[in-house]
Amino acid sequence: MRKLSKLLLTLVFALSISSTSYAVTVASWGGAYTESQKLGYGDPTAKKLGIPINWVDYSGGLSEVKAQKAAGKITWDIMDVFAMDTINGCDEGLFVKFNFDKDFPAAPDGTKASKDFFTSMPSDCAVGNILYSWTYAYHDAKIGSKKPKTIKDFFDTKTWPGKRGVYKSAMHNLEMALAASGTKPGKGGKKIYKQLSKEKGLKKAMDKMEALCKDPNGGCVFWSAGAKPPELLMQGEVVMATGWNGRFFNAEVGEGAPLKQVWDAQGLDYQYMVVVKGGPNESDAMKAIAEMTSTEGLAGSAKYIAYAPWRKSSLKIIEAGEPWYKDGKTNMMTQMPTHPNNTKSYILIDALFWADNGTEIGEKWEAMKSGL
Amino acid sequence: MSSETQKILTTDGIPLEVSLKKVERRNKFKAFLLVAPLLFFLLIVYISPIFGMLFNSVDDRMVTNALPKTYIAMEKWDGKELPSEEVFEAFYIDFQKLMDEERDGKLSTQLNYTKNGFKSIIKKLRRKSKSFEEGNYKEQIMSVHERWADVEYWRAIQRRAPAYSYSKYLKGVDMYENEDGKFVQVEEDRRIYKKLWVRTLKIAFYVTLFCFLMAYPIAHLLATLPMKYSNLLMICVLLPFWTSLLVRTASWMILLQQQGVVNDFLVWIGFVADDKRLEMMYNETGTYIAMTQILLPFMVLPLYSVMKTISPSLVRAGKSLGGTPFITFWKVYFPLTIPGIGAGSLLVFILAIGYYITPELVGGASGTLISNQIAYHMKYTLDWSFASAMGLMLLVGVLAVYWVYNKLVGIDNIKLG
Repeated sequence: MRKLSKLLLTLVFALSISSTSYAVTVASWGGAYTESQKLGYGDPTAKKLGIPINWVDYSGGLSEVKAQKAAGKITWDIMDVFAMDTINGCDEGLFVKFNFDKDFPAAPDGTKASKDFFTSMPSDCAVGNILYSWTYAYHDAKIGSKKPKTIKDFFDTKTWPGKRGVYKSAMHNLEMALAASGTKPGKGGKKIYKQLSKEKGLKKAMDKMEALCKDPNGGCVFWSAGAKPPELLMQGEVVMATGWNGRFFNAEVGEGAPLKQVWDAQGLDYQYMVVVKGGPNESDAMKAIAEMTSTEGLAGSAKYIAYAPWRKSSLKIIEAGEPWYKDGKTNMMTQMPTHPNNTKSYILIDALFWADNGTEIGEKWEAMKSGL
Repeated sequence: MSSETQKILTTDGIPLEVSLKKVERRNKFKAFLLVAPLLFFLLIVYISPIFGMLFNSVDDRMVTNALPKTYIAMEKWDGKELPSEEVFEAFYIDFQKLMDEERDGKLSTQLNYTKNGFKSIIKKLRRKSKSFEEGNYKEQIMSVHERWADVEYWRAIQRRAPAYSYSKYLKGVDMYENEDGKFVQVEEDRRIYKKLWVRTLKIAFYVTLFCFLMAYPIAHLLATLPMKYSNLLMICVLLPFWTSLLVRTASWMILLQQQGVVNDFLVWIGFVADDKRLEMMYNETGTYIAMTQILLPFMVLPLYSVMKTISPSLVRAGKSLGGTPFITFWKVYFPLTIPGIGAGSLLVFILAIGYYITPELVGGASGTLISNQIAYHMKYTLDWSFASAMGLMLLVGVLAVYWVYNKLVGIDNIKLG
């Protein structure tokens, strides 16, 4: 009995060492996306720094990390979050504030980190990771001979009858609805947000979505996990579905599914990484995050998924190394949401607008949904 | 003889009564020690979280403590027009302090729950206030953003003045307290919670009813069939019970979707046309079907255990007294099963009212319940106090059901076996 308990003690001790005080734990969104992060910059970083990196899945939101903090045992070091969550998390004091140029390495040509990234960060706690896009896609074989081309076609249930897959929350749906009802996005979608912050514009967008979902020829299936839209399209549950471009790309190119994306009025959005304040391994986490978001690191993840790296210098590496995709024959630049072909009309998702108005619009959205 | 000598003494001279009491006390203490671990366990993991939740839902000290001077200055304000310079100055001083302590972000989150739009104007104020000059703070703050000149936003700040408030409970039924202290409903296009409460109760009620209708014959069969067959049947009931909830829900998704097994079969036998496949998922129907199947064992098992104890001779006696099969069933057998029905219904109803994962996966827009809203506020808006308030309202709802049941049927009538 004594021996056994000794053995158990050692085991527990060994486990606690290996799992907490040593590795850096990153919480991300799972599926093809986490895979691209792990292969693209996670494993190389771990090898270079000699710090093991664990990947865990979560489905977004700050509740888990807030609960971990409240319980006094934070288990995540780095999180991959939406722009809105970097704002809210920074306000709540959950994340470490960065000293940007000091904490992150410069580009190979010496450009400061803050200049190498496309735009400034929405909060002091955020470092840019990828740019992704909300697009919509259809099943090429099932859609018929006439193919959808514009954002208006998504709402055209006469030409393309059948259900639509849409995101379960209001975000991006309202922007899309306004763009489809004739509001010109303007530069980066500024006009859309101007409309949405007025009662009238918001109602217009809401009505447009309600009409689509109540349409007997249309109807909505709401999705929440990123892997769902390609799945819904392949099963034939919906004729068109909004989704994240990397997931569509992964289904189309990676798995050979007959899906096609429409880039008109795409919702361009940023994805960020943050370091959790008081995480189990904060100093190693800082080293790891700097390495992962370096020029090489960000370019690496684009080898596995069609999300654009944040750094301008990373794009240069990809361009020079085409075909960059892991199969060795697909050019990545044209698949990026930032490619000129895809940005003829786009909406830059306004994180501050959603941080401001998310709850009230969310209530209206849920009220609309519950009446369907 | 004096009264002293009347008392019976033990051998060491202590009155027997005292000695007995001592022993009894010791025994009681021992018994308490035996249950103590369980008691502490319940206190820690059951009672205290409930009180924590209750406290969380009314606790509003964060805002009160963040703006002490503002609230003192606001006491004289009637809430009709924009507040005076005094209030603005007090707010500015409070805000400076918050910025030094890096608590302004938390304040913006809290105020944003009361009225949307605070996040960005507080961020803007933080940037601009560094270059403020002394005096005339009203003008300076109002020039930061037009919303600072909107009296609605100052009323929203005022509403957060009390350290403890029940406003989250009002919000849970789509109401709020206006400036005059009256309870009014929120705008029509934002009313959502009442609708969800009603839907939750409705779905829980029907799921209980469906479970009852399906479980009663099964339980009867189980109780009356010979051991050989009833054991097999019992395994059929228990097997899904042992399977993970998620697996069962996912299986229903495969069965019910438009290109799923059930629809394929219906199309194959020609019951529905290929382009008019039935919608059985991502709506209320899906919630009903999946929840009924998942909760069925909770109805079958109590019914079965009660039916098992009913002697078959009672039914025979009823028949021999001239009752038709229906009359015997209705007058003799059914009343004897009521304790089982009560237990099963209560179990299923209480489980159904707080169900979360199944409606989330198969419910779509029309099949989601109040628990999904609670999860939404826990996860995405981070308004935990509101989530706590709704959780507590749900708990009170369950207790109310229990109370009504006790009044109607009597809780001692319940039997699980």
